[in-house]
Amino acid sequence: MRTLVLGVGNPILSDDGVGIHVARKLKEMNIPGVTIEELAASGLELLDLVVGYDEVIIVDAIQTKGGRPGDFYELEEKDFERSIHGSSPHGINIATALALGRKIVSDKMPQKVLFIAVEADDVVNVSERLTQKVQEAVPSIVDKIVEEIKKK
Amino acid sequence: MTGPMINDTPVKTNERKITIDPITRLEGHGKIEIFLNDAGNVENAYLQIPELRGFERFCIGRHVMELPVLTNRLCGVCPAAHHLASTKALDAVFNAEPPPTAKKLRELFYMGQYTHSHIAHFYALAAPDFVLGPSAPSNKRNVLGVVDAVGVPIGAEVIKHRSYGQKVQEIVGGRATHPVFGLPGGVSKQISEEERANMEQMAKSCVEFGKFTVQLFKDLVLGNKDYMNIVLNKDAYYLETYYMGMVDKNNKSNFYDGDIRVVDQTGKEVQKFKPSEYLNVISEHVEPWTYMKMPFLKKVGWKGFVTGPTSGIYRVGPLGRINVCNGYTTPLAQKEYELFRKTMGDLGVTGPAHHTLAYHWARVIELQHATERMLELASDKSITSPDIRGAYHEPKEGVGIVEAPRGTLIHHYASDKDGLCTKINMVVATTNNYAAINTSVRQAAKALIKDWMVSPGLLNKVEMAFRAYDPCNSCGTHSLDGGPALQVTVRRKDGSVLTKQRNF
Repeated sequence: MRTLVLGVGNPILSDDGVGIHVARKLKEMNIPGVTIEELAASGLELLDLVVGYDEVIIVDAIQTKGGRPGDFYELEEKDFERSIHGSSPHGINIATALALGRKIVSDKMPQKVLFIAVEADDVVNVSERLTQKVQEAVPSIVDKIVEEIKKK
Repeated sequence: MTGPMINDTPVKTNERKITIDPITRLEGHGKIEIFLNDAGNVENAYLQIPELRGFERFCIGRHVMELPVLTNRLCGVCPAAHHLASTKALDAVFNAEPPPTAKKLRELFYMGQYTHSHIAHFYALAAPDFVLGPSAPSNKRNVLGVVDAVGVPIGAEVIKHRSYGQKVQEIVGGRATHPVFGLPGGVSKQISEEERANMEQMAKSCVEFGKFTVQLFKDLVLGNKDYMNIVLNKDAYYLETYYMGMVDKNNKSNFYDGDIRVVDQTGKEVQKFKPSEYLNVISEHVEPWTYMKMPFLKKVGWKGFVTGPTSGIYRVGPLGRINVCNGYTTPLAQKEYELFRKTMGDLGVTGPAHHTLAYHWARVIELQHATERMLELASDKSITSPDIRGAYHEPKEGVGIVEAPRGTLIHHYASDKDGLCTKINMVVATTNNYAAINTSVRQAAKALIKDWMVSPGLLNKVEMAFRAYDPCNSCGTHSLDGGPALQVTVRRKDGSVLTKQRNF
């Protein structure tokens, strides 16, 4: 079983980079049997990275109504079905890229994709650091992912 | 509303239902404010785009050599463009001249970028409208619908050639998405013969796929009278602006190097400038209601959100580039360019194409050119030479310009004698187009709001105005429904709200 943990985000855009920060923490732990990658890009690049794996865990920032920074949610592909669209190439977003992969290279796509979506506070100020609440949540997020990996 | 539900505490639970509520943070989406006059007609419309804050602060005091790696983080879609503009700025800052091999490698890398970027644009953005029609249901009008319509093998070809473009970038640039190879006066990596031969093979396949894509566009659009009517419609998405783009010494289109040319509404050249001269040509207009500044032609002046020869508003990107050049240096693209000019001419268009939807046609011609140029450079055995770095001197100040897929991109740095950045200014493609985008939004609003009546299609049509330019906002937050998150507010003259619509 090939497992990939993919941290997605912009490392110089404060909380937008939470996925990257989490991926780096995981890399330091040298967990056997799992690949950790960073992706600071949008769109079809995602597809290039996930093909060939059985299970993929994607970590990224999210903003929701009433969300508290530092909270994180477990979501699945079907939770994003509404956001498959074509209004912008920047918006070959995660959902669309995965749906496209399932359509044209379905035998190489992971059977399971789990999203760990972290509630972000600041995604407009340039900084290499996370805001406080999000930074404090990183250890719990790492623990959650390690727990997921060990389940296999 | 239906949809998944979220537990907001990270507690292990068996509950499977989650709800995601829409984003309401004002900073995360584009806001359009429309003001009506006493007669209930549009007085003004403003598009506020949120912007990254603090990038300049972040860069000042850092070593300028870091900037090519930092600035390419500004954009996840075309970081290669920022990396190259930054590298060229460093050439100027350090007064360094790259040797021919280095220039060829930089351009080869860049053709990889254009190839995958334009393929993604066409098949994800343009093709859905053309293959499925603008009246197809919006949940079908996307790249998945295109694959349904043209067949899974085509979808696989799209992915394959996109990844070839990425691979060329990776081989030459060291990393697929965020390149690391630009240095003042050259590049950091020499190419082996094996790598060169591999790139040559991939480029050959890309040229053929370019041909296929151009033909697909022609079959879908040129042969279809209804589409041609949409493309040529002067009420929607038609602006008689100035145009700006990079050309070589023969006025042929060049994305990597050359002078910047500006033409007027009739196609006559009004300016041609070198990168270091950009501040003599472009001024920036500031409005109190938005962070983003609006460049305009200094010589013509700022006259507000109007177009025509007396207003300094100009457009960049594929339409800008095709309008300022007189052709392409590669044969297949040149042939397509001639067809473009002839078709426009037969339809009564003299001078530049002002029709915004012509952006899509220009883009496929550029795709063809990029693949041909990629093959030319990859077939050149001299690119394996070790001579990839020229001499450089004490750092001072400099400007680097390239044509990003979306338009003219300017990086300007100043450095102290230790190489620490003291000043940074960037004009990105979308900023160049911002005034035109506002004008288009205003045009759309005026067509849809009359005598206090707000048409139900307002949001869609305004989104189309926005989308035709494919604006690249760093905080390109998207609503859950997938489009750029947009909120439109229509106000009476006194500021009170008449109606609000949003797509999230």
